[in-house]
Amino acid sequence: MTVTKPETAPWLAAFKSRVPLAHEPAALTLRRETSLNRFAELGLPTRRDEDWRYTDLRPLDGKNLTAHLSKISEDIDINSYVLEDSAHRIVLFNGHWVESLSKLDKLPSGVWFGPSSNWLKDFPDLNMEILETSEFEGRQPFTSLNGAFFSDGFVLTLDPGVVLNRPIQILHVGQTGKSGAQHLRNLVRLGSGAQATLVESFSGEGDYWTNAATSIHLAESATLHHVRLQDEALEAIHFASVRATLGVRSKYDTFTLTLGARLSRHDIAASIEGEGAHCALGGAFLLRGQQDATTVTLVDHAAPGCETRELYKGVVDERSHGAFLGKIAVRPDAQKTDAHQLSRNLLLSPRASVDTKPELEIYADDVKCSHGATVGDLDEAALFYLRARGIPEDEARRMLIYAFTAEAIETVGNMALRAYLHGHLERWLAKSGK
Amino acid sequence: MLEIRNLHARIEEDGREILKGIDLSVKAGEVHAIMGPNGSGKSTLASVLAGRPGYEITEGSVTYQDRDLLGLAADERAREGIFLAFQYPVEIPGVNNMYFLRAALNAVRKQRGDKDLDAGQFLKAVRAKLKLLDIGEDLLQRAVNVGFSGGEKKRNEIFQMAMLEPKLAILDETDSGLDIDALRVVSNGVNRLRSPERAIVMITHYQRLLDYIEPDHVHVLSGGKIVLSGDKNLATELEKHGYAMLGDAA
Ligand SMILES: Nc1ncnc2c1ncn2[C@@H]1O[C@H](COP(=O)(O)OP(=O)(O)OP(=O)(O)O)[C@@H](O)[C@H]1O
Ligand SMILES: [Mg+2]
Repeated sequence: MTVTKPETAPWLAAFKSRVPLAHEPAALTLRRETSLNRFAELGLPTRRDEDWRYTDLRPLDGKNLTAHLSKISEDIDINSYVLEDSAHRIVLFNGHWVESLSKLDKLPSGVWFGPSSNWLKDFPDLNMEILETSEFEGRQPFTSLNGAFFSDGFVLTLDPGVVLNRPIQILHVGQTGKSGAQHLRNLVRLGSGAQATLVESFSGEGDYWTNAATSIHLAESATLHHVRLQDEALEAIHFASVRATLGVRSKYDTFTLTLGARLSRHDIAASIEGEGAHCALGGAFLLRGQQDATTVTLVDHAAPGCETRELYKGVVDERSHGAFLGKIAVRPDAQKTDAHQLSRNLLLSPRASVDTKPELEIYADDVKCSHGATVGDLDEAALFYLRARGIPEDEARRMLIYAFTAEAIETVGNMALRAYLHGHLERWLAKSGK
Repeated sequence: MLEIRNLHARIEEDGREILKGIDLSVKAGEVHAIMGPNGSGKSTLASVLAGRPGYEITEGSVTYQDRDLLGLAADERAREGIFLAFQYPVEIPGVNNMYFLRAALNAVRKQRGDKDLDAGQFLKAVRAKLKLLDIGEDLLQRAVNVGFSGGEKKRNEIFQMAMLEPKLAILDETDSGLDIDALRVVSNGVNRLRSPERAIVMITHYQRLLDYIEPDHVHVLSGGKIVLSGDKNLATELEKHGYAMLGDAA
């Protein structure tokens, strides 16, 4: 008999009255129950949990998180988030697939891309791979909750050797008058030598809750570029976890630009299982008002000769708070690991704050590992120099913030994606004009 | 154009008084040179005129074109035509030189009632001035002053000045660190800006600069005060005798 945490009771009740997916395989229903039980055991995290120390969960209070959002209409404006250069796209509105706005024609052979509800329908006998890695090591109650409740999401699978040159886009849009949740479940599986570029955007209106979980599997020599734009509504809550496993000589690089949500958290766990793999994690968060954003990364080097690069930049203004918790673990067998991690932060207001905690856990002796963290103010000398040339103060400040953030965006290899991120960064900066 | 009266300024941080009653009058069309020992307050005076934060004016006044200069923010002063060539130009990683210059030029033009230059017009103006100052175009593709040599930084200051066409240019040791050829090129750039509507105040330690840019007045600033003023011959005297001669002048 496991102990059920009392605060999970509303979800246990909600699960009973849940409407299953059309064509939901019986095996999935069983899996959902397992996830729910796991969640009931874990309960909601508190600040006593090491991983959640810097995250103030009070914005969750009083919200109706057990309610499920439904697809209100298909008439939504996605123009500011569409990446022109994308070859295929899926739009998910309140966690439900919007076929009319999606672009799934002319998929090359060897590619399966579509909403996860369709994938489950097409492959009911598959071993529920979509839920397989749902339970991260450590405490991830929201991912378990996601397993119990997810309504849809996306799946991308590439057969060995399939190379997609143009990016694939997934737009997540949330909208609600009352609070409610959208649980998204995603799966990416690339066969050996396959290559893809994925861009996800999150946006919306109202105080909805996004809870996304993504599993990524990269076979030998596969490459995945994964860009995320988190520009949720300012009252919204955003939790996202990404679990990636990297095979021999595979490459995973991911970048997240965090601009939105009242409270957000992004967990990435990468398991490096194959020799010679390369992992690059990056991101920038720009926060103001009372926004709170946490990024948690864990890279687990279990194979020798692999490389990890991490660069995270934080900009906090007004009363916002940002946190970066980065851990790189190197197991005894992972000799010749080369791992660098850097967290740099800019405080724009005396009431804003940042917590940064880089961590190395090394059990191999022949490795090259380093980490660093900085927290500083805007460079006053640079600001004066710009102003001494006639540039108004607020514009000069924007130029310096832009420059600080752009350094991280430059790590994104794809030019169209860089431009996409720069565009959204500029939009954010324009909103700060007095 | 510029009237400084009994100007006293101290450093906000430690309260130390650096300027102890400066009087200086600069008319349109004039070139003034300010000389004086290290630490006497020359750069502080330039900073105070340009509006750098961190200094407190405790006494005195500065009028510029019949307005109270001290009431204007640093960027307003620049848009009103004041230009400070920094003794130590600041490196700004991540801010592209061209982008920065265009933002500055358009801000200054807007104040003058001129339209923004489009990319083509801007590039044309840039190329003309680059040639004048013998600066390679590649320098402009880099971040502001990042990785520039000492001389390149100084040249970049004068290049910016040539682009912005200020009414009052304050050059703080622009000649320091320049080789002989560069000194000639930079001086040419400054001389081109001379006109009956403009004024130039240059801070220098060396007579040599004054051979290229002939001043109408030379002042010696020492201990936070102007202790001696004269014509260009004063600089020659100083070169000969050093600041020891201040002993009886002050
Ligand atoms: N922002 C500041 N903080 C602390 N001290 C300062 C500051 N600005 C000026 N000072 C001090 O004020 C004094 C005058 O400095 P200033 O730079 O004006 O001298 P200067 O005449 O330009 O000297 P130099 O010929 O060496 O350039 C020095 O003692 C300097 O250390
Ligand atoms: Mg000086």
